[in-house]
Amino acid sequence: MQETISFTPQLAASPIAEMLWLIPAVPMVAAGLAALLMQAKRKTSAVLAIGSMSVSLLLSLVAFAHVVAGWSHGQAVRETVNFTWFQAGTANIDLGWVLDPLSAVMLVMVSFVGLLIFIYSIGYMKDDENFTRFFCFMSLFAGAMLGVVIANSILLLFMCWELVGLTSYLLIGFWYQKPAAAAAAKKAFLTTRIGDVFFLLGMVWLFAQTGTLLFYNNGAGSIEAGALAGLLAQSAALGLTAAGAIGLLIFAGAAGKSGQFPLHVWLPDAMEGPTPVSALIHAATMVAAGVYLIARVYPLMQAGALAGGTTTALTVVTWVGAFTAVFAAMIAVAQNDIKRILAYSTVSQLGYMMAGLGMGGVAVGMFHLITHAFFKALLFLGAGSVIHGCHGEQDVRRMGGLKSDMPITFLTYAIGMLALCGFPLLFSGFWSKDGILEAAQHWSVVKTPFYMLVFGALLTAFYMTRQVTYIFGGHWRGGKPAHESPKVMIVPLAILAFFAMALGLIGTPAWPWFRAFLDGRAASFDLHGFMEPRLLALMGGSALVVFLGLGLGWWLYGDHSPKPSEPDALERMIPPVWAALSDKLYVDELYRVTVIAFYGWLARGADWLDRRVWGGAVAGVAWGFSLGAELNRFLDTNVVDGGFDKGCDELSVGGGLLARIQTGRVQTYLRILALAVVVLVAILFWSNRV
Amino acid sequence: MNYADLFRVTLPETALEVAALVVLIVDLGFLRKASLKVRVTVAALLGVAGCGAALWTLQASYGAGYSFDGALVLAQGGYVAVAQVGILVLTALTLLLFIDSIFTKHVGEFVAVVLMAASGGLFVAAARDLLVIFIGLELLSLGLYIMTAFAKSSGKSAEATLKYYLFGGMSAAFLLFGFSYLYGLSGSTNLYWIQYSIGESGTNPLLYVAWVLIVAGLGFKVAAVPFHLWAPDTYESAPAPAAAFIASVSKVASFALLLAIGGNLLMPGGPISGQKDVVEHYLRNEYLAWQPLGLILLIVAAASMIVGNLAALAQVSVRRLLAYSAIAHTGYILLGIAAQRAYPGVGSPFQFFLSTTGPAFRSANAVLYYVLTYGLTTIGAFGVVSVVERATGSDRLDSFLGLHKRNPLLAAVLGVLFLSLAGIPPLVGFWAKFNLFAAVLGVSAGPVSFALVALAVAMSAVSLYYYLQVLKRAYVMPAVDETPIKAHPVTMGVLVAIAAAVVVLGCFPALLQGWIESFYLIL
Repeated sequence: MQETISFTPQLAASPIAEMLWLIPAVPMVAAGLAALLMQAKRKTSAVLAIGSMSVSLLLSLVAFAHVVAGWSHGQAVRETVNFTWFQAGTANIDLGWVLDPLSAVMLVMVSFVGLLIFIYSIGYMKDDENFTRFFCFMSLFAGAMLGVVIANSILLLFMCWELVGLTSYLLIGFWYQKPAAAAAAKKAFLTTRIGDVFFLLGMVWLFAQTGTLLFYNNGAGSIEAGALAGLLAQSAALGLTAAGAIGLLIFAGAAGKSGQFPLHVWLPDAMEGPTPVSALIHAATMVAAGVYLIARVYPLMQAGALAGGTTTALTVVTWVGAFTAVFAAMIAVAQNDIKRILAYSTVSQLGYMMAGLGMGGVAVGMFHLITHAFFKALLFLGAGSVIHGCHGEQDVRRMGGLKSDMPITFLTYAIGMLALCGFPLLFSGFWSKDGILEAAQHWSVVKTPFYMLVFGALLTAFYMTRQVTYIFGGHWRGGKPAHESPKVMIVPLAILAFFAMALGLIGTPAWPWFRAFLDGRAASFDLHGFMEPRLLALMGGSALVVFLGLGLGWWLYGDHSPKPSEPDALERMIPPVWAALSDKLYVDELYRVTVIAFYGWLARGADWLDRRVWGGAVAGVAWGFSLGAELNRFLDTNVVDGGFDKGCDELSVGGGLLARIQTGRVQTYLRILALAVVVLVAILFWSNRV
Repeated sequence: MNYADLFRVTLPETALEVAALVVLIVDLGFLRKASLKVRVTVAALLGVAGCGAALWTLQASYGAGYSFDGALVLAQGGYVAVAQVGILVLTALTLLLFIDSIFTKHVGEFVAVVLMAASGGLFVAAARDLLVIFIGLELLSLGLYIMTAFAKSSGKSAEATLKYYLFGGMSAAFLLFGFSYLYGLSGSTNLYWIQYSIGESGTNPLLYVAWVLIVAGLGFKVAAVPFHLWAPDTYESAPAPAAAFIASVSKVASFALLLAIGGNLLMPGGPISGQKDVVEHYLRNEYLAWQPLGLILLIVAAASMIVGNLAALAQVSVRRLLAYSAIAHTGYILLGIAAQRAYPGVGSPFQFFLSTTGPAFRSANAVLYYVLTYGLTTIGAFGVVSVVERATGSDRLDSFLGLHKRNPLLAAVLGVLFLSLAGIPPLVGFWAKFNLFAAVLGVSAGPVSFALVALAVAMSAVSLYYYLQVLKRAYVMPAVDETPIKAHPVTMGVLVAIAAAVVVLGCFPALLQGWIESFYLIL
């Protein structure tokens, strides 16, 4: 590891940090306005959404520039703005936001990728009748996601986190007429909710232990040194410290959102949503929120680690990540739906990020998050373009030969694919993945994750080659001939493709700018960064693995153009393995016979209890209340009102006002008044009779 | 006797009275020939301006209050100021809702009566002397009787007024009787001295009678069971602005008075001074003498919660429903007032009563928070009801059918206000209940207060049923008539502003809390 020269921290909030709330607020307001629009106001809603995103991007860039400027002057910028939302008893419920390198980088990424995807959506959603609603939800999502990014209070983060989950639900089920989409939305919501329950527990525990909801608060925050020391001194069950246990609970929430095994099942199904949604929410940003959360609470995860050592929490993160990386990559090999392949690939890459966080630290994981966001958004948008061009076809076996029909889509898709595979030197994915592999190689515990991740890289190259040759190689096997997509879809692709390549420049070993920026150190350009022998060997080795994967893929699929009915090339070689993989290793089935069956049983039991036991009790209480109410009404209408009205009616026939006062039944009222006084006095005497 | 001082302290009341006279002169003098619409608008706006002026002078006149012969007569600052600001703001809102009214041609008189009643309310909130209290109450009450009777063409209005007036007269008699006992027992009409000498002399059976009579008199003002019988008839038949005024402004003033009677030691200027242990000894004695008042209040509170909520279930008229719901809310608030003087249990009474962070202060704050937000919400609710009533000719539940198709904005306002009344987060009604119940439990965690809070919470759940009955008709059940309902833009603006305030104050509960507490810092 390099020497760590910590920059001087800077605490006072600048005007830019004060205004940071605008970044999520602008898209949220746009969403609110769009919600009021009529269905026919398509243009207005698109302008609102894209305009608000542009404003957010602009503000994010300003904030980013501010952080970079502070950093280049040797300051570790961490500006927080906190305020008390309300007081509950003696506890302050605080909210706040933070501007530091981590949030600045994420802000720019989310708003930039978001803006491109919004623009792309104009073309993709052109014919959808609910265009307005789509942009409303997308803006709401963007606002909530940006809120997650800037949150300095775990409660604010959680609220935005849930909002993000809600919009994810709404957008997966955007075509709610499709039963599959409705089911997928429900599944996503429920599965992530399991993680969120743990997250909530972790949050409450953290609050109970540290007494604050803020991450950073000039030394009094919950993940600053003072609070962490307290958390470390407290021991929870199973030899964990409180810090470790809270870290694990929060990680469970992150695992749900980021589709980590065993909570990954919702993400592939989420592909039922419109493709821009898959690109923005289920590839680039929301699913990365889990990774971001771990990065945000990294001091907590790392608390108690000795120099070069690790903690239980980080070890768990590493193992779950590495396992997910390989597991999902294996399933991706045997999928035929263009978006499902990418979905499993996303799950797998999120595993890489988690493993990177676990073994290498914030910068390693975050670098892969950022590069992945660009190339995976690119791939999804490319897939959307392909689907659009093929008139809604999603099965890769019914495509083929699109190389010539959709040249620009092909070119950009190929760039995205090579970036994802980690093709050496030219593509960003190579550098970010190498960072993770390097960290794995140096990991002090065991080397197993390293080999797992290398194997995952091989699989990645293989399944992407398979997919690309299926789609773009060979000859056209579908129905109506395909066409290239409109400019409004192509231009975002080209921009993303540029970044999928160029972003690697900021994270090469020769100029580790990104890592230095996040860690608050000075970055210098030094070609000797490449010269470390072990690093060269690693780069060579991983390049070889990529070539091997590409070669294998090409060998199996390259020059054939199999019909949809024919078995897959791999299926012919190893049928049982293929069957297992194409059935997603039976995780869904396992859940169906265990968790879901258990809940079904529980629900039937609860239903029985509800109908027979509680229902009766509730009906009894309700009956009692309605009896009381009836009695009251009876008294009110017959005794009080009835008496008075009747008296009035009779008397008004015969007489004037005076008669009413003298003999009318207003006496009843006054009698009750007098009686009440007497009774109250009696009660007082009785209670003080001693 | 210092007249300059008296003038300074009564500036806000003076401002209101002057405004009332100006309204009369303008309406009866200059606008004789003008159309009713113009006259209503001008009169109401002049009235609002009067409230504004009173608010301004209120702010300018903070001081030690007005004392006569060494005894405080009119208090200032602290929760008195909070209540007075509340009275003025709620009066202004009532007047704005009056702009759309057509029930009377005598608009100048109506506005003038409203302003005079409001000045009575200001006196009631500030008074610390039995005589001033009584005169303030009568000034307020007489105004209310007249307002109730203002729809001269409506027989129902006359009938309701008569019932209200008879009941009110009887209650006033009780109150006066109770006051006379207090005077006889203590030899003073000043609340502080009464408290002091009762604390010295200890309990006396006559004192019980006095307390019950006083609770009967004030229970009438806040419509607490069993002194509530006038409320449903009056709410149902009074003109809408009058009903809104009775339900909000008059309540704020009366609860402020109850807070003072319940524990005016909180205020500065009291007779107690000296060593801390002397004060503690005195407070212990004094507590025993005041304990019966707490007991009566608890009984009345529990009865109000039960009767109000249950009777509301069976109503078909929304105004009567609001009346019974008002009775129920009175029950909740009385819990807080009773808690203000509950026995401190362990710890020092000095801490309990005099510390600004002590439980007594917390519960006074919670009561004010509740009354103010309740008053605001109720005015809005009456505003919505009056709009619907004018369009459909009745305030039956069924006239709300399909409201969200006929006027979606109005239905949304109704939804926000009723849900807030029911105490659904994140609306302000939730925080009001939460604060109040938390304060009651904070004062004493014994089984009695726990049981009462549990009862209050259960009754709140019951109340959700009848509020939802109205909302169900507005939103879910099929509409019979789908012609749009139009409302005056000012009315609509005021209603939307009230609903927005209910939402914003609910989302940021610390705003109002902090504002109320800021008045204590002035002391």
